[in-house]
Amino acid sequence: MVLPLSDAATGGTRIAPLLEESGDIEMSQLGPVLNRRRFAAALGAGTFVLASPGIVRAQTREIVIGGAASHKPWFETHIQAAFERKFRCRLTFEGTRSLVNLEKMQKNKDRPYISVVQMDDPVMILAVREGLLEPITATKAPNLARLKPGTVHMDGMWANYLQPWQGIAFNSNVLRTPPASWNDMFEGRFRSRIIVPSLQNTEGLPNIFMMAHLVTGKPMAEAYKDIDAAFAGFRRLKPNLLTAYSQMPQAFSLMEQGEAHMIVGALSSFGMQRRLDGAPVGMVAPREGIFPVPSGIAVVKGGPHQDLAFAYVNELLGAEVQNRIVPPTFALPTNLDATIPPGMPSGVTVHPIDWAFVAENRAAWVQRWDREMAL
Amino acid sequence: MKRDRSLIGWLAAPAVIYLVLVYALPLLWLLARSITGPEGITFALFRDFFADPFSWRVIGNTMRIAGLVTLVCLLVGYPVAFALARAKGMRQVVLLAAIILPLSVGVVVKAFAWQVVLRRDGVVSQFLVGIGVWSEPQRLLFTETGLVIGAANVFLPFMILPIYSVVKLIDPRLMEAGATLGVGPLRRFFRILLPLTLPGVVSGIAFVFSLAVSMFVIPSLLIGDRFQTLATLTGRSFLLMRNEALGSVTATVLLVLAVMIVLLSSLLARRAARFS
Repeated sequence: MVLPLSDAATGGTRIAPLLEESGDIEMSQLGPVLNRRRFAAALGAGTFVLASPGIVRAQTREIVIGGAASHKPWFETHIQAAFERKFRCRLTFEGTRSLVNLEKMQKNKDRPYISVVQMDDPVMILAVREGLLEPITATKAPNLARLKPGTVHMDGMWANYLQPWQGIAFNSNVLRTPPASWNDMFEGRFRSRIIVPSLQNTEGLPNIFMMAHLVTGKPMAEAYKDIDAAFAGFRRLKPNLLTAYSQMPQAFSLMEQGEAHMIVGALSSFGMQRRLDGAPVGMVAPREGIFPVPSGIAVVKGGPHQDLAFAYVNELLGAEVQNRIVPPTFALPTNLDATIPPGMPSGVTVHPIDWAFVAENRAAWVQRWDREMAL
Repeated sequence: MKRDRSLIGWLAAPAVIYLVLVYALPLLWLLARSITGPEGITFALFRDFFADPFSWRVIGNTMRIAGLVTLVCLLVGYPVAFALARAKGMRQVVLLAAIILPLSVGVVVKAFAWQVVLRRDGVVSQFLVGIGVWSEPQRLLFTETGLVIGAANVFLPFMILPIYSVVKLIDPRLMEAGATLGVGPLRRFFRILLPLTLPGVVSGIAFVFSLAVSMFVIPSLLIGDRFQTLATLTGRSFLLMRNEALGSVTATVLLVLAVMIVLLSSLLARRAARFS
């Protein structure tokens, strides 16, 4: 159930009667003589004083959001203050990787301290398998009913509140002509100048499918399960590979400073934000297409303040909040009533990702990467 | 007197309790986890680990980098410890500050700073091109050399300070006495100074090697995930791959190797001291 504003601060509604009961006004009208009324007043005041820490706690209910570290800036700018004001609570954002959030949920399964998680879809699949999530329903989060098809997963276990896309980021000071194709990463002029996301990171996984597509020349739907072809592509990329990042800010820093020229498989939400910040970063959707990187949100089963947790989820699934966070994240909204901002790629193929296939094979791919791509 | 001594022993109780709770017990859990399978106690995890050639490569990476970092720290730190011990007044204060103050800077900050320094257009590359060692700028970032340089910088104080603490106790007149007896400088160093400083050297090696063999953040930032060490593999197993079994095994192997090397170096140092 969505927590209405008037009910949010239950402590607040208790304070007024307690103030009346405390008898402060009565006390001022009384003389210094101790009588039954003054005794009652003093008792009331004492009760108020003793109870006040609990009331204060009730006023400042807090929920912890486990999300991606890179989401913290827009969370703080566009979500936190507005939500805290509206629901009279406090939000704490723990930014890390999705798999680390999963670990935290799993380790604290008996006494969860995180209320809401914002994680990648493949990690959500693992969380569902371990019974860590509480289903979202339209009753508890009415905005669920206004989402685009394909953005509510596994009977509402989680939903997508944003759809960033994945393409190629480049240093616009070095490359005056933006890369047009994913194949550009193999060119000799980019020796030791290419960065890819590590397969440890969710955004590293679509590169496997693009490699398979580029190496086999087959349509994506046919090629994406040809993992041998994908690794042949990675091995071919070795001379040009500067590093495989696990920390996205580090990768962008290297590119912005000119050490790297391109990040292949970069997230629009980060790359375009850096451009907006004035960094020499360009973001392109190559002609072979781009990948959507759905950002999921879910309520942690048994987490603190479930009412606030569902209220938070509802807000992020709503058009109002999505209209605020879509422009700075350069992602596509998922709410049908939200506006798609100008400047988003159009007319380019968006390749869907088979996250179930990813979840099944990810560990094996990481092991294979270690062996075949080691320095 | 005896009773006083036994009472003094209790002063260590808070530290012992703390270490047992936050270090020994979790360590025991870790060790137990590495030999526990679905059907009880088993060494299958270790067997699988050592049967995989990749594991040996990871062990090799770990030992090679830790050894090189320790060696660089020793070669750079040993003379610095002497300079520090022999310096007087303000000069000693400045030297000490220069060695100790960097410890207050976080490892992550240092690693990021080294990223800038080790880049193709970083100061190291510019310097080497400037003096003619390199014909064109080269990148040290994401190479083993860069990792050793960055890590040695972070761990250098842990080599200097133990050696310094020993050197400052050595009577400088010992060397003078050797000289008056006609012993040459090299022989004086190997027969007098080195044996006397060995306890500090061993402590320094133990400190630096233990830190270098288990470093996680520095390799992650300076060489990336294409170079795995036991520590990075352990971190990844627990944090990312959610493979506690592998993580427990790699952590145990790391612990055993580190303890073995430290004990061995201590043993060798004692023998060397006795021999000399």
